[in-house]
Amino acid sequence: MKKKVIGLIDGQSGNIGSINKAIKDIIKGKPYQLKIIKSHFNYTSFDKIILPGQGAYATLMSNLKKLKIFEPLKKYLENNSSYLGICVGMQILSDWGYEDKSTRGLGIISGDIKKFRNKKLIIPHMGWNTINLNKDDTIITNSFDKKDFYFVHSYIFQNIRKSDVLAFTLYGQKFPSIIKKGNIYGVQFHPEKSHNHGLNLIKNYILKS
Amino acid sequence: MLKTRIIPCLDVIKNKVVKGVNFKNIRVMGNAVEMAKYYSLSGADELCMLDINASYQNRKTFIKTVESIAKVINIPLTVGGGVSDLSDITDLLNAGADKVSINSAAVKNPKLIRQASLRHGSQCIVVAIDGKRHKNKMKVVIKGGREITKNELITWAKQVQSLGAGEILMTSMDTDGVQNGFDSNMLKKVTSNVGIPVIASGGVGSLEHFYLGYLTKSTGLLAASVFHSRKYKIKTVKKYLSSKGVPVRL
Repeated sequence: MKKKVIGLIDGQSGNIGSINKAIKDIIKGKPYQLKIIKSHFNYTSFDKIILPGQGAYATLMSNLKKLKIFEPLKKYLENNSSYLGICVGMQILSDWGYEDKSTRGLGIISGDIKKFRNKKLIIPHMGWNTINLNKDDTIITNSFDKKDFYFVHSYIFQNIRKSDVLAFTLYGQKFPSIIKKGNIYGVQFHPEKSHNHGLNLIKNYILKS
Repeated sequence: MLKTRIIPCLDVIKNKVVKGVNFKNIRVMGNAVEMAKYYSLSGADELCMLDINASYQNRKTFIKTVESIAKVINIPLTVGGGVSDLSDITDLLNAGADKVSINSAAVKNPKLIRQASLRHGSQCIVVAIDGKRHKNKMKVVIKGGREITKNELITWAKQVQSLGAGEILMTSMDTDGVQNGFDSNMLKKVTSNVGIPVIASGGVGSLEHFYLGYLTKSTGLLAASVFHSRKYKIKTVKKYLSSKGVPVRL
């Protein structure tokens, strides 16, 4: 049987060690193989792509361009191929990011990345917070509803279509914590740092879709 | 709702967790990797580990220990102790730390905070501040409290925020190690003057101390002895806090 190929993008935006290890543990003994994407790639040869990100929107976008990952990734996403974006890897699916400077995103899920509105909030939003599911999903099943995940971010997805929001979280305001359009998923939290629930989410993404 | 984080802290020499008052009578509490694994499984929200004897010889083993720990836990890991420049920070992040804590090096060279947060993002730069009362003023101290700097505590806390720190790990040297509770007064002064998360450290001895720490508006509560000695399990602390209405991850 042909193995399914999972691509893990190293966009030089934080460390991919934990997610790399989580994926390896999940696919051990199963018909999958993991490839790390560090430069231009053939987007038709991947069944799933995961992009973890930390730090700034503009930095990740410029890294993807510099590493020649941007073009094939955009084509891959425009084909509605399976994708999981983590934190900034989710945010860059938007049209624009307004962190430090205005940066054009991948434009896959309409919306903008802006700072939390409430000026009195402690920023970054750092720690464990609850996700509230809007609807059931094959990967983000009901079992994840009201569970806690680990967040670290100062910017949130805004002006998004309601139908693209799978789960929301409360921190001074409601914000999208899981988004989905077709086969493209984005999570604002770090599942690779979120203990069992986080690992189950990655597992579902890899094995159930 | 955002949960208050309970953070066990491992003081490490090479690969052993130790307990020592002012570096005297150092006692080995256990193997660092085993203890980290135990805390991750038993409900810790985050883990902190500090190289308390960051000499050249010990450093290599310590970094290996960080790598081993990062492999066995799936909660965030903050690593500090002996961080003196940008390359130390990069080494620790590459070893698997999610956040790096800088202390004396930031006092000596505040620009390091800005350089580090620009390079790696604010979210992974923690500034550890040790505070102590001196002549009716709260001052920043270094070298485990032995050296009082010219920095006034609140001014410094505000400055580290503006330089790009993502979080402050606030230890009061007036209460550290004596288990009489966090320094509420000092912590409240800090939390009311900065807009970034503050982790309270130094002095926990009882369950009520955790609750009093929460009341200071610190979003993380750090403790060592009460956990290492098995006086309390993480779950015990969380159940207690939850019964007092504190949001925790159960």
